[in-house]
Amino acid sequence: MATINATIAINSSDLTSSPISINNTMTMMKAGTCHGLENTSGLVRRSFTATTLVDLVTVGAQMYGTPTASKANKLYIKNTGTSTTDYVDILIGDSENDSDEELLATAGNSKITLGRLYGGDWMLIPFEGTTNNDVMVAPSTAEATTVEWMLFFE
Amino acid sequence: MATTTATVSINSSDLTDDTLSINVSKQCYKAGTTLGLDQTTGLNRLYVTATTQFDPFPVVKGATNAAENGKVYIANLSTTDTEYITVGIGDAVIGRLYAGDWMWMPWSPKAQHVNDIEITPSVATGMHVEFMAIHNFANIYPDSADS
Repeated sequence: MATINATIAINSSDLTSSPISINNTMTMMKAGTCHGLENTSGLVRRSFTATTLVDLVTVGAQMYGTPTASKANKLYIKNTGTSTTDYVDILIGDSENDSDEELLATAGNSKITLGRLYGGDWMLIPFEGTTNNDVMVAPSTAEATTVEWMLFFE
Repeated sequence: MATTTATVSINSSDLTDDTLSINVSKQCYKAGTTLGLDQTTGLNRLYVTATTQFDPFPVVKGATNAAENGKVYIANLSTTDTEYITVGIGDAVIGRLYAGDWMWMPWSPKAQHVNDIEITPSVATGMHVEFMAIHNFANIYPDSADS
């Protein structure tokens, strides 16, 4: 059993008329238990030089192990760039070959955009890991873009 | 313009042989700019008592914010290890937040029902959930039905 702590701090003195200060720490536990997650992909660093949509984190068996689906897995992603105009779209879906975004389970078009990570932006989300739930990226530019990610799983 | 900073620290001394320490801090900017996001839903706190799926940030029909760069924070405040919320977007499941878990992600809402964020509690016995969006979206509230 390992102890992995993730703390978020969201602070602003002027977003609202009263300051915002949100601090929350989670210890990454296995689903439904008080035992910590024990497995990780390691911190993966990957560079892209095209705007092609690609699978970033694929479900199922991987070199680093097989994340169990529908558990308490966590995924961290960061765009390591510094650009304020270049970004990567983050999507969830079943194939990088699908052409269109899904609307209410249209057959063959099964990916959905979460949002954009501009240079320096990060995200930390749960990772479902079920079939057809790959996490994909689509860079906005063919200029070199580097993304780091790390999966914590059981 | 506002200055909002989101910081994450991920630490472990025993996940791997070497200590893990990730620390990232980033200001929340409007898409393609260095102008800070200037709107927020505020931090909502909800006591959910059904396993019915709900939208914490409904996308209003006709709203066009697909090219924007909002941020979303969601936390499950339950203290019962087995209780979780399933967070989805459109028809896709992002994953489960168990008791004490939180998430932070970008969000670019497209047309209504395409990539609405959804939360489904695992139990109907009651649990607290918190969520907040920081954004610069337009047309996020429905027109008044009174006329």
